[in-house]
Amino acid sequence: MLTAIIRSLRGQTLALSVLVIVLASETSQAQPVDVRGGNQTLSITTGFAGGEPVAVTNTNSALRYRRQAQTSKITVRTSCPGQNFNLSVEAQGVTRGVAAPAVQLVNGMLDTDFIVNIPNSGFRQTTVTLLYTASATFAQGNSAEFGNDVHTVTYTILAQ
Amino acid sequence: MKRPARLLFPVLLSVYVLAASSESVQAQTYGSDFHRVTVTVATITLLQTNIGSINLSITGSSVIAGQDLMTVSDQSSTLLWGTNSSGKKVTVRTNLAAPKYSLKVAAINPTSGTAASEVTLSTTSTDFLLNIGRSSGSCAIRYTALALASQGTGSDVHTITFTITNQ
Repeated sequence: MLTAIIRSLRGQTLALSVLVIVLASETSQAQPVDVRGGNQTLSITTGFAGGEPVAVTNTNSALRYRRQAQTSKITVRTSCPGQNFNLSVEAQGVTRGVAAPAVQLVNGMLDTDFIVNIPNSGFRQTTVTLLYTASATFAQGNSAEFGNDVHTVTYTILAQ
Repeated sequence: MKRPARLLFPVLLSVYVLAASSESVQAQTYGSDFHRVTVTVATITLLQTNIGSINLSITGSSVIAGQDLMTVSDQSSTLLWGTNSSGKKVTVRTNLAAPKYSLKVAAINPTSGTAASEVTLSTTSTDFLLNIGRSSGSCAIRYTALALASQGTGSDVHTITFTITNQ
């Protein structure tokens, strides 16, 4: 009898553990929007005499977002006090929703549409590539004199 | 003093509208995430000419009888630059230590900065353009060769170097 109870408890514990794992897994996937790839650096190192420095691009980060109960959209904004140089971002490979044209990231900007018309059905989550483009003019100077631009770029998903 | 009763309703209504508006905004946002993106710009200094080789020839057709000094000019080449550092200028020099004839050079119509006075080339760097800091631009290069009839015939070959340097 005691053995049977212990076996039953073990079974419940196992079931409970599985449930906890499933819930944890669900929770980890439940972030509505998730920037992947970590922090990024873009370095401008060359240019053209009589022209301008050559812009550089970076596609090493991505944005994963989940379907929501309503049609939704993702906005982007940045905070970069003392910004000197130019940075824009564009979503690539968007199959759930419509990518906006490249957004110029300017310190103090308002939230700006990044991906719109994200449907509320037909998918669970999807990932798009973040294409960052950094540019500068000769007149804007260099990091040795003005320091680097460090942007905190925030993506927000909200009902459209 | 008692507050007039007729003002109470607008105040309550305003509070209600603010609360409703706040709830509405919060309800619409599902979540957000961020990362940091750093932009660095190296110190870039570029200078180039559009023509590799220029010949100036003093021939009989350009000589005035009875005059010892003969000259010829060329303004076919262009100097292009770009620098994102402040306080810069362009200097010019030749590698030819003892030229037989004089060769002068001047910057013409610079798109930024200020042209220095026309200079006779020597192995010592001499100002060519001033105040070009943090700009890109171009100017025509005017070379003027001078020879005296009494110096006879011959040729000089110069390798001319333009340099962006601190002002």
